Amino acid sequence: MRRKELCILLTFSTTTEAMAMEAHASAHGLPGRLIPVPTVIHAGCGVCWKAPIAEKPRILAAMEKEQLPYEGFFELVI
Amino acid sequence: MIVDARGKACPLPVVIANKALQDRQDNEEVQVYVDNDIAVQNVKRMAATKGLEVAVTEGDGYFVLTIAGDIKEEAQAPVVCGCERNTVVAVTSATMGSGSEELGKLLMKGFIYALSQQETLPKAILFYNGGASIPTEGSVSLEDLKSMEAQGVAIYTCGTCLDFYGLKDKLAVGSVTNMYSIVELLSQADHIIRP
Repeated sequence: MRRKELCILLTFSTTTEAMAMEAHASAHGLPGRLIPVPTVIHAGCGVCWKAPIAEKPRILAAMEKEQLPYEGFFELVI
Repeated sequence: MIVDARGKACPLPVVIANKALQDRQDNEEVQVYVDNDIAVQNVKRMAATKGLEVAVTEGDGYFVLTIAGDIKEEAQAPVVCGCERNTVVAVTSATMGSGSEELGKLLMKGFIYALSQQETLPKAILFYNGGASIPTEGSVSLEDLKSMEAQGVAIYTCGTCLDFYGLKDKLAVGSVTNMYSIVELLSQADHIIRP
């Protein structure tokens, strides 16, 4: 049985912004991954950054420090 | 009537619930205890095909499906468990769709993640040609593939393709297969999904 966990999700205005986040995270060892945006957030197409809830302060600090744009922030059990 | 199908692999929860519905007296309620989402969905589907009402409550690590009502004469559909369908996913490229390679890789990653989140998983995933790189070391999709393999999904990668791309020693999940097995899997599948 798949285990669901509380995660943080960052959505982006554009796919390009999501890709930039992935590149930055890869270069700087930030935890998380891009996943399709869950339909409970919105039914449209798009990708979002998913990371463990414990990494919330680190991720948000990096987003602010590096001026990485994101559209929405969610905490969700998936 | 209460029946406990916890710890039973698919399709046993459906079989146990179906038998309880046949054995019950005077259309009494049947409570079915299961311990996973797939069993919940499959038992619900089975009850729906019989025109029965189902209420689901969640406990600590288990679910209780309360099934009530009269079995509709016209709704005596055969019991079908979703996990019995033979769905095979054929991944033929490292990218999804044509156009931007960068976007195509992103889409393929998303596809494999979304596939791993489905309540009913495919029987097998085949990787060949450019898709052969996906189940190898360093792939971002390894976690999702290992999760599906642990849940019983067979993962096969074309050996000729691994050899061609110099990835023979890099396979990190599943096993190597050949063209005869690929043809057999595809020809016996009820559904083939090709992203």
